[in-house]
Amino acid sequence: MARLQIEGLCKGWDFPVIDRLDLTVEEGEFFVVVGPSGIGKTTLLRLIAGLESPNAGRIVIGDLDITTLPPYQRPVAMTFESYALYPHLSVFENIASSLRAQRMDAAAIRTTVTEVAKLLRIEALLDRRPGEISGGQKQRTALGRTLVAKPQTFLLDEPISHLDAKIRHELRQQLRSLEELRQVATLYVTHDYAEALSLGDRIGVMGRGGLIQIGSARDVFMRPRTLFVAEHLGQPAINAVAARLADEGADMYVRAGNSGFGFPVVAAHAAMLAGGDRAQITVGIRPQHVKVLRNGEDAPGHHVIEGHVEIYEALGANGVVVTDAGGVNLTALTSLDRDFEHRQPVRLALQTDAVFYFDSETGSNLLL
Amino acid sequence: MSERSARLVRTLLLIFLGLWLLLTLFPLYWQFITAFKSAAETNRTIPTFWPEVWNFGNLTAVFADPSNFGALVDSFIIATGNTVASLVLGSLAGYAFARFPHQAGGENLAFWILSNRMFPPVAILVPMFFLFDAMPWGTDSYLSLIILYLVFNMPLATWLMMVFFRDAPRELEEAAYLDGYSPLRAFVKVTLPLVLPGMISVAMLCWIFAWNEYLFANLFVGTNVRTFTIVIPTFTLGSQTLWNLQMAFSLIAMVPPVALFILLRRYMVRGLSLGVVKG
Repeated sequence: MARLQIEGLCKGWDFPVIDRLDLTVEEGEFFVVVGPSGIGKTTLLRLIAGLESPNAGRIVIGDLDITTLPPYQRPVAMTFESYALYPHLSVFENIASSLRAQRMDAAAIRTTVTEVAKLLRIEALLDRRPGEISGGQKQRTALGRTLVAKPQTFLLDEPISHLDAKIRHELRQQLRSLEELRQVATLYVTHDYAEALSLGDRIGVMGRGGLIQIGSARDVFMRPRTLFVAEHLGQPAINAVAARLADEGADMYVRAGNSGFGFPVVAAHAAMLAGGDRAQITVGIRPQHVKVLRNGEDAPGHHVIEGHVEIYEALGANGVVVTDAGGVNLTALTSLDRDFEHRQPVRLALQTDAVFYFDSETGSNLLL
Repeated sequence: MSERSARLVRTLLLIFLGLWLLLTLFPLYWQFITAFKSAAETNRTIPTFWPEVWNFGNLTAVFADPSNFGALVDSFIIATGNTVASLVLGSLAGYAFARFPHQAGGENLAFWILSNRMFPPVAILVPMFFLFDAMPWGTDSYLSLIILYLVFNMPLATWLMMVFFRDAPRELEEAAYLDGYSPLRAFVKVTLPLVLPGMISVAMLCWIFAWNEYLFANLFVGTNVRTFTIVIPTFTLGSQTLWNLQMAFSLIAMVPPVALFILLRRYMVRGLSLGVVKG
C-alpha cells in the first residue's frame, strides 16, 4: 500500500501559499500538478519531501504518518528542477547515492545501477561527471537516482521542462512506460499544460491557495471549473470576452463588449443560464472553436460573424490569427496553407455549443 | 594613436610590475645572501651585495644549540594545532551562518566575529597574558598559543568558510537528505567535497599566520615551549647581532610554508576563486 494522502495541508510565509489542500494519489497513479510559475507547486513537493514543514495538516504515505519525519526517513524520492546532481561524483555514484545511504554491498549496487542506467540508456556515461554530460542525460541521471531508491512516492519537479523539444517528447513517452512508476504514487509538477494532459492519469490545476480542480485530463480540459483553469490549459489561450446575456425574441443572445459581436446561446446552455445575473459574464471560446471561413464556404451548425485580421502567426503545425470582431479580439486556429494580410476582412464561424460561460466576478463556470 | 597608448599602458604596467618585484624580492634576496655571509662581512659600513665567501656552515651553526631544532618542531605543533582548531570551529560556525542565519544570530553576530580581527593585537596583549596565566595550562605551553591564535584565525576561517558554504548549493544537500543521508552524513558526502579547495586555502592562511606570529609568542612562551620566531633574536654575541645566523635560521624556517604552498597551490588558486566562478 503506497497511497499518498494529504489532508488540510497549509503553508505560508508572509502570505498563504497552500491553504487547506486535500489530495489523495493512489498507488500506481501518475498525478500531474499543473499551474503557473510561482504558485506553490514546488512548495507542495517540498512539503511532501520534508524539506519544508507545514503550518497545519497531515501527510500520510500508506499507513505511515510522515508529517513530522525528517526528509531522510521518508519513503520519498524527488527530482529537482535543477537536477541537483553531485558535481564531484560520477554519474554512477550519483545514481548509487541512495543505495550507499542504505549501506548496500558493492556488488548489489553495481547490478542495480547498471540495470537502471540501461533502462534510461545512460550506461555508457557512468564514468563521467555531471559537468560532462548534456541536459537530457543529466535529467535521466537525476531520474535514475530517484528510481533506484525504490521509494513509495515519487516527486518529480518539472523534470523535462528545460529540455529541447525532441528529447522532451522522447522522455515523456519513456516516463509513461516506466514500470517502476506504475507501482507507486507519483506526483509530477509542471507548468506545461501539454505535458500535464499527456502524462497525467489525473491532473490538478493549481491556483492561488491550492488545487482548483482535480480530474482526468479530458474532464478538466472539457469542463473547467473556473476561468483560471480554462485559461491555463490550451495554447493559444482561450478567448475570454466580457459579455452580457440578452433575450432577443425567443432566443437568449450573447452580446460581447459594448458593441461587439453577438451569437445565440444554444438551447442546452440557455436552460442552465436562465435566471442568473446576466449583465456581466465572461465568455470563453477556445481558438480551435473559431474557424476562419474561406470565400464562399459556409459552416452549418456554426454562427458566422464578421471581423478583420490583426495579426497572423504561422506556427509549426497550424496558424494563429488574431482578429478584431467588432472591437473585441478573437484568436482563431487555422491550417497552415492559409495566408492573411493585415486588416483583411474575414468571416468567423463560432462553434457555439463549445462555448463556456463564466461568472465575471468569481470566475466559476456557469454551466456546471 | 590607440596603438601608441596601448603600448604606453603596457610599458607603464611593466615598470610598476618591475618596481613591485624589486620591493618584494629584495628582502628575500638580502635574507638569502646574508645567510651565507661571515659575521664580519654583515657588519661592513659599505654592504656587499654578494657574499665574498659562501659560508654554508651558517646553516648548521644555527643548530649548535640542539634545542633550536626543537623550536621549529614547537612552531609546527602550534601552527598545525591551531589550524585544525580554526578549521573545525570556523567551518561549523560558517556553516551555521550560511545555512541557518536566523538561528545562528544573523549578520550582526557574524560581523562581530569578523570585527574581532580588526583591533590592534597589542591592545589585548597584557589582559590576555593574565587571563592565560590563570588557566591550568598556563602561558608557557602549546595549548596557550593554540587557543590564543584562535582569536585571529577563527574569525578569518568562519568568515571565509561562510562564503564558501553559501556558494555550495543547498539543493545538493537536500537531494542527499532525500537519498536517505542524515544531515551530518549529507554534509560529509556532498558539501564538504565542494568546499574542500576553499578549506585548504583557509588552512594555509591560518597556518602561515600561526607559524609567523612573534608578538604573543615572545611574551607567552620561552621555557617549556619555544617557537622559532623567538629563537631568531637570540643569535647575538655580546653587543653584536649575528645577522648571518638570524638570516640562516629564518631561511630554514621559510622552507615548510613554501613547501606547503607549492604542494597545495593548485587547491589554493581554486579555493580563492571559488566565490567568483561557480563550477
